[in-house]
Amino acid sequence: MTQAVSLEYVLIVAAALFCIGLFGALARRNLISMLMGIELMLNAVNINLVAFWRYLEPSYVTGQVFVLFIIAVAAAEAAVGLAMVIAVYRSRTTLQADEVDSLKG
Amino acid sequence: MIQPPQIDFSVIGALTVLCVWGIALLLIDAFFIAEGQKRVTGYLALAGLAVAALVGLPSWGQSSNTFSGMVQLDGFSQTLIWIFLLAAAITIVISLDYLPRHDIEKGEYYPLVLFATAGMVLLAQSTNLIVMFLAIELVSIPLYILAGFAYPRVTSEEAAMKYLLLGAFASGFFVYGLALIYGQTGTVQLFSVDGSDSIASYLDRATLVAENNVFLFAGSALILVTLGFKVALVPFHNWTPDVYEGSPTPIAAFMSVGTKGAAFAALLRFLVQALPNLQAIWMPILAILAALTMIVGNIGALKQLNVKRMLAYSSVGHAGYITLAVITGTTLGTNAFLFYILAYTLTNLGAFAVLIALEKQGESAWSLEDLSGLWQRQPLLAVAMAIFMLSLAGVPPTMGFVGKFYIFSAAWEGGLVWLAAIGVITSAISAFFYLRIIARMFMYEPTRAEEASLSRALKVGLAVAAVAVLLLGLIPTPIIELVNNSLLVAAR
Amino acid sequence: MNTLGFPILSMLLVLPVLGAIILLLVPRENTTLQRQITLAITLASFVISWVLPITFNYNPGTIDASTPPVMQFVDQFPWIPAWGMSFALSLDGISLWLVLLTTFISFVVALVTDSMVESNKRSFLALLLFFEAMLIGVFTAQDLFLFYLFWELALLPAIFMVGVWGRENRVRAAVRFFLFTFAGSVFMLLGIAGLYILHRQATGVSTFDIAQIVTDIRSGAFELGIVNERILFGAFLAAFLVKVPIWPFHTWLPDTYSYAPTPATIMIAAVMSKMGTYGLIRFNVMLFPDTAAWAAPAIGILAVIGILYGAIAAYAQSDMKRLVAYSSISHMGFIALGIFALNPVALSGAVLQMVNHGVTTAALFLVVAAMVARKGSYQLEAYSGLWKAIPIFSAFSLVFVLASIGLPGLNGFIGEYTLMQGTMSSSFLGWGFVGFAVLGVIFAAAYMLRFFRGAFMGEVEAEGAQLAEISRNELLTFGLLLIPIVVIGLFPNLLFGAMQHSAADITGSFLQAAQAALGQ
Repeated sequence: MTQAVSLEYVLIVAAALFCIGLFGALARRNLISMLMGIELMLNAVNINLVAFWRYLEPSYVTGQVFVLFIIAVAAAEAAVGLAMVIAVYRSRTTLQADEVDSLKG
Repeated sequence: MIQPPQIDFSVIGALTVLCVWGIALLLIDAFFIAEGQKRVTGYLALAGLAVAALVGLPSWGQSSNTFSGMVQLDGFSQTLIWIFLLAAAITIVISLDYLPRHDIEKGEYYPLVLFATAGMVLLAQSTNLIVMFLAIELVSIPLYILAGFAYPRVTSEEAAMKYLLLGAFASGFFVYGLALIYGQTGTVQLFSVDGSDSIASYLDRATLVAENNVFLFAGSALILVTLGFKVALVPFHNWTPDVYEGSPTPIAAFMSVGTKGAAFAALLRFLVQALPNLQAIWMPILAILAALTMIVGNIGALKQLNVKRMLAYSSVGHAGYITLAVITGTTLGTNAFLFYILAYTLTNLGAFAVLIALEKQGESAWSLEDLSGLWQRQPLLAVAMAIFMLSLAGVPPTMGFVGKFYIFSAAWEGGLVWLAAIGVITSAISAFFYLRIIARMFMYEPTRAEEASLSRALKVGLAVAAVAVLLLGLIPTPIIELVNNSLLVAAR
Repeated sequence: MNTLGFPILSMLLVLPVLGAIILLLVPRENTTLQRQITLAITLASFVISWVLPITFNYNPGTIDASTPPVMQFVDQFPWIPAWGMSFALSLDGISLWLVLLTTFISFVVALVTDSMVESNKRSFLALLLFFEAMLIGVFTAQDLFLFYLFWELALLPAIFMVGVWGRENRVRAAVRFFLFTFAGSVFMLLGIAGLYILHRQATGVSTFDIAQIVTDIRSGAFELGIVNERILFGAFLAAFLVKVPIWPFHTWLPDTYSYAPTPATIMIAAVMSKMGTYGLIRFNVMLFPDTAAWAAPAIGILAVIGILYGAIAAYAQSDMKRLVAYSSISHMGFIALGIFALNPVALSGAVLQMVNHGVTTAALFLVVAAMVARKGSYQLEAYSGLWKAIPIFSAFSLVFVLASIGLPGLNGFIGEYTLMQGTMSSSFLGWGFVGFAVLGVIFAAAYMLRFFRGAFMGEVEAEGAQLAEISRNELLTFGLLLIPIVVIGLFPNLLFGAMQHSAADITGSFLQAAQAALGQ
């Protein structure tokens, strides 16, 4: 099978996306941005899995099934995470992580 | 046409009971149990845990798997399942009275505990990375909610948010590691009993040259980072004190024993069953992390005047001791791990239960001051707390002591004496803050006059934990026999 | 082997524990009954323990380095069979006298506790009985795991006695006491785990039986190798040096001894500190003879430093309780020196000195406590001319002071003399160490006589005339303590006879090594 782009490039894109997500989750101080960063990380993984499936083992569907699992779990996490963001906003009227700091020590 | 795999329900008995009963209980609670009667939901949840424990009895001693070998039931996982069910049961018992006292008595609390327990059970049984991932999420998502259960209290909310962000972040690492390992080996099965493809069999075949296995090494490292987060290994431990302090006390107790035990079980399976050929690589790395964990955890606990935070740091320190048992990779190490997890579960749940007993309506009482002269206010409570502190410090005749001895034996056998020596030094340090609590309770005059009387449920939970810690410390034979028979299934 | 036919050691162990439980059932207010029960239990243990030396087999066979040490009055029940642990108690000629010392001192302490502990007597007495049982356990346990269990359990009543009933800085003293000894003990725990695992790897047998391990070491079935042997030796040594304590691990001692209530001080100083020296003999010397010989000079140096340091520090104290406490450091240094001379003579002297120090220290702490009870001050300067005011009391005190100094005819002399004679002829230590030890004896005379002169000689103060003369209870306890002081001083062979076999057995391999060196 001839490939338009080789596996390496897809993996590099996925890695770049993962790193962007990582940066977002670590460096942004807004809770929603942090959650978005985490979502980006998970989606980078999905690209990885699909690429590995397509390039290495197209006859098995395992890679694709993993992606479905991850999407479902990511959705559940996002649901809980966003609910929590709302709760935080209601009680503090801020979403800046630096201002959510009553626990220390 | 895809053939659905055969499912052997005897393998996932406890898991099925917990999930089905958890869902059913949500509905029962919503439709049949009146506001103010939510304690009944708790009793029903306890019944579910009992049933889940009983379904494991017939298959004890056998080892079988299902879902194409992705879920394994062996002596190891069965013993862990019982430990998690016990932890969940004690958690529910000590919550029965805690929730109404803090005005957060809502019915969904108990099903959420069941779901988290189901996740722990699955984590102990999983022999496949994707199942492991699902199990980790099944543990974590209910616990995110439970951590924020005391929701109007800002600290609880904040604990939940921190736990969620870091947990989700760690999950991202896990799946990335999973994807890389999948790309390298074409499988995410840790090992296989029937000889089909697995990470372990790949490593048996492959020549272990680093350049050829970049993905596998990087992926394994990412997975270790995630599991390190979950068990609170240094340097991934920073969330622990904040999350434990902010969460409702029974949930902090549950997280400190259940999540930790389950994640360690996954770590043990990943290291010992999937990567035994790489022990020369991961053992020194994890040994150093274990040493750092012991040192940072115990020294961090030294300066805490808040007992709840102190217990959080001490749980970091104990993660170091458990890591020592896990990374020996020997049978003795596995046995020591199981024994220590049980000892730690009973002890730590008991210690948190004492904190619950001291909490007053809606306000927290976790400072060292609040323990002053407890011996004169409530002698039995003080004696129970003293037993738990001695067990955490590893003083006989408690389970914690036998567990520590077990781990030291495993260290000698596994050639990690230097790490055990660090463990000895740090446990000598840790004796300071455990003893400080004992000294407060017995050697100071009371500073607090008014007293919350203990509810019956709390008394039961405390008594079970204290008596078990003491009695099984004096006569540990039954538990030693149990863990000696709790073998990991042999690969291939 | 147990020629008696009934488990006398288990009985000795269980009796005080039962007593403690009974005490907790007595109403809190009924202090008379509590006192009576405690006295009855401790007296009963003391009387029963006399069965041991009377029925003891003084000549249990020839000494042969290949045979296991001969133990008597063996009680053995399986405990944790999965690990080869058993509840095994037995005695040899060394632990025999330490058990007797324990029961004797416990009885004396039970006699004096009533007047020295004000609040919550019931708990204190229960702890005292529990303490006694655990100490007997330490001296008789023949299973490594069981030994460690008793070792740690003996610490718990001690810290509670110090921390709850002590004076001034009691909590700090108790915490420090616990931390020091616990830090040492966990090293021993690591050592026990190592010994167990290495023995299992070498022989395939899971056991914690000390005699079994010693037999395998002596027969060569269990070879440790030099590195492991030194690690294990060090691990055990850490626990024992702290407990004795040997300089520089002594820093917990002055505070603990002086801030503890006197009954607890007596139990800790007279009996508990012997756990450390007993452990040195039973484990460091018996299990690791090669390393013991290698380390003997180093430990000898620490012991000598301890002897001199303790003596000099004692001389500088104005607090009388601290003075006696520091004198303990000095005396325990002698004992450690005698143990690491590694020959039967010095070892016998050291064991005798363990008993002597127990009795004499108990007596001295009681004298101090009695003086404080009369005048309320711990300071030496507050006292003067007691000899004229209360002559009988002072006469007793003089005997105790002289016994501590080592006056011929009293117990201290014969112990120290034998000990130093043995050290002199030791092929591991020699005359240099003895020279410093003699210096320590001279210092001891100096600080004890300074104490006696300051408090008992000189002019009677105005208020001194009204001081109460010795009370009936004091007469009883002082008289009891006087008996062993005089009897051991006049008939030391009563004790030496029983310990000869054990001392020769334990030091047998060193004797052979020394003879081999001489023959070449």
